[in-house]
Amino acid sequence: MENLEIKGSRDVYFVPSVDFNVETGSCVLGGESYLEETVKFYMPLYEWLKKFTSEVKKTIEFNFKLTYFNTSSSRCILDILNILKDYEENGGDVKVNWYYDSEDTDMEEEVEDYMIESELKINLIPT
Amino acid sequence: MSGEKFSLYNYHKTFDKDILISFKGPFDKHILAIIGNYIEVILGRNPKAGKKIFKIFIELAQNIAYYSAEGKSNFNTESGIGTLVIGEFDNHYSFVAGNVVKASDIVHIIEKSEIINSLDREGLRQYKREQRNLPQGERGSAHIGLIQVALTAASPLDIEVSPINEEYSFFTISVNVEK
Repeated sequence: MENLEIKGSRDVYFVPSVDFNVETGSCVLGGESYLEETVKFYMPLYEWLKKFTSEVKKTIEFNFKLTYFNTSSSRCILDILNILKDYEENGGDVKVNWYYDSEDTDMEEEVEDYMIESELKINLIPT
Repeated sequence: MSGEKFSLYNYHKTFDKDILISFKGPFDKHILAIIGNYIEVILGRNPKAGKKIFKIFIELAQNIAYYSAEGKSNFNTESGIGTLVIGEFDNHYSFVAGNVVKASDIVHIIEKSEIINSLDREGLRQYKREQRNLPQGERGSAHIGLIQVALTAASPLDIEVSPINEEYSFFTISVNVEK
């Protein structure tokens, strides 16, 4: 299994940066997410996580560093959290951190909503 | 447009306040990118409101691009046509977007907007979570966008429907964002 790396970019659409590491189990999703085909973009991320959680089975530390995402991306983020929650329920070790601008109260609310929806503990880390 | 000559002066007179941008045309992805950049630049002096305006812009613009009944000769071949005006007032920004909608779709949009406006912030968050949790395919994507707009603006959605003819209406949504 290989690392998953996608360079973030900002053009007509905003591509978030992805850095999923098999060796360390550290996963970073950062930048801004506003895509032409949202589900198509996120599909390989789901697949990587499903493979990691069924084959590698090490601790995952998932670090969200998103500063903006539109509502279609927000559903895909929920899908990622649900995969992590499934892993945790099946005995996997999961740690989720969410870095956000301390003045961005909308983002703070968003993360609280994700915690309620996914029933996963997310550490809110103001920056 | 009918055969009469278009008066740019009349158009100009319609706007008597500080208009940051007015646009009518196809909500094409390249145009949206330019307007999005412009919003970020001009509102850079007020980053918090600027970010909110940008978020509202993306959600409403995508709704217009996908769902406007005007401009799409074939499914997915062109972007929907819509109108957008962002104005600046002493204490707030106003964001107005509109597009042609099939009369048969309007009842549904109004119902959703009324639900959104009847909820307080906590209720709205819960409604968003419920909608977001629906399985893929059942998700009414336009409506999550509207819920998000109400949450982001932290103000009710001001909806107006102007019938064009039996088949079509013009749908306008306005929200204010505090400075």
